Amino acid sequence: MGFGQFLTEPEFKLIIVTHRDVFQNTAQENSRFGEQYAERSSVIRLDKDDMKKMGVKAGDLVVAKNASGRVVLKAESSTLEQSHPGTAFMINGPWANALVAADTGGTGVPAFKNIEVMLSRSKGEKVTSLAELI
Amino acid sequence: MDKGPFVCTGCALLCDDITVDLQDNRVIGVNTACLKGVSRMKGCSSPMTCTVDGKTVDVDTAIKEAARILEEAKHPLIFGHGNSTLEAQKKSIELARELGAHIDDTSSFCQGPLVEAILNEKIPTCTLDEVRHMADVIVFWGADPSHSHPRHLSMYSYFPRGKQRQRGWEEDRTAVIIDVRRSDTAAVCGDKLYEIPVGADPEFMDALLNALASKVPKTSFNMDPKRILELANILKKAEFGVVFAGLGMTYSLDSLEPLFRLMDKLNETAKFHLIPMVGQYNMRGFDHTLFRETGHINRVYFGGEEVEHGPQRSVVELIRNNIIDAAMIIGSDPLASLPGPLAKKLSKIPLITIDPCENLTSRISKVTIPSALSGVECGGTAIRMDGVEVVLKQIIETNRLTDEKIIARIMEEI
Repeated sequence: MGFGQFLTEPEFKLIIVTHRDVFQNTAQENSRFGEQYAERSSVIRLDKDDMKKMGVKAGDLVVAKNASGRVVLKAESSTLEQSHPGTAFMINGPWANALVAADTGGTGVPAFKNIEVMLSRSKGEKVTSLAELI
Repeated sequence: MDKGPFVCTGCALLCDDITVDLQDNRVIGVNTACLKGVSRMKGCSSPMTCTVDGKTVDVDTAIKEAARILEEAKHPLIFGHGNSTLEAQKKSIELARELGAHIDDTSSFCQGPLVEAILNEKIPTCTLDEVRHMADVIVFWGADPSHSHPRHLSMYSYFPRGKQRQRGWEEDRTAVIIDVRRSDTAAVCGDKLYEIPVGADPEFMDALLNALASKVPKTSFNMDPKRILELANILKKAEFGVVFAGLGMTYSLDSLEPLFRLMDKLNETAKFHLIPMVGQYNMRGFDHTLFRETGHINRVYFGGEEVEHGPQRSVVELIRNNIIDAAMIIGSDPLASLPGPLAKKLSKIPLITIDPCENLTSRISKVTIPSALSGVECGGTAIRMDGVEVVLKQIIETNRLTDEKIIARIMEEI
């Protein structure tokens, strides 16, 4: 147990944009409870420069949280060619949805594709499981 | 036995050229479909069982318990419908009327606004077959069909050599993409990717309007005006243009006015249509059915003196404001698709799930009733993303009831 354990990890403000993924969808058709569905849904893709700034490497675990929820995700580098600092991407699913606010300003349409979160490095936690989400 | 071709119910493209390999009344192979379609038609690995309070029961017991829950609730909600046939949807609306219940579907937080605008003839639309044969300018806006509707580009929108587009994508078609990210569909569109910031869609629509009016298009995100003028030029010259509107666009528009203005302007010089990228295979069908019966596509309450409708009757607001005290979910998994805080709230009231497969919602439901997988274990009709009615055929036998039959049986009990 090192001293670092008691230090708070710095947090970075990000917008998460969700999108579809045919492989996750295929896995979902087979089973919502399968490993592949969970693996693909719980990845957050970050801008390369953002990763450097946060001290996060591909495969590291990160905590995304806001007033709606908190999930531990696996960080991966974005596959996009252009830089997109401040924006991260996630495949639409229960992990991303855990961070979506219930308040819709009365419209009835939650902000599924524009989720503001604080992101920090995780300290020895595991990726949030589906069971923990329900 | 019918040899096909069959219709895939994996998404609202409803691909109608599917053949299957069967063995012992099981689908063991699916030909022509995309990855997702194959997975859908082969059936899931975790089929739902018939239960009440987590204990296995016969279907009669489950139906009786479902009827009791709905009858005793003061404000029951019937939700889902995107993966049910038109016949089941009609029955569901009938049940909601009889119960004086709330009824809604996934279009409530999906493509509802665009389907509504089309049904109210505020946006010109066309069919996918017309796109295949005639479209020369194709705009994917906030949409990534390579992932959401994998055969979209090959069946209809880009690659086919249509009757009037024999030179295909090489010479006859131009595909443009407007998005916040370089998606796999963007890769197909090459240098015609217009990358905009999150939520900047209405601003980009206004910039395009300016460009179409030969004014210098300015944006707060400093996109080169020349590029926007180039795009306006492509759009202006379209003989048969189509905008495929994805959720990326829909979620960015607080009001559809900027889109109406753009479509009107485009149609001054060119011929432009819009098709919403609907996800679930028959979401649009529910919207058409409810619209025909009530004048509203979703978010309806039958418990008042008159039919009530509005955002306050949406599944999201009903859960958020603790209005509903029981819910029957048909072919949907709101626990997975709603915001976390709402999913938690929904899990606190008695739920009835009707679905072929186990899902997050069924795991916490008081009653689960397994149903036949439409397009495989039962036939029916559905409405494709472009509004065309498609007949689904049954491929294999099952002893599971259809959604329609389950709802009819519940009605008999009430």
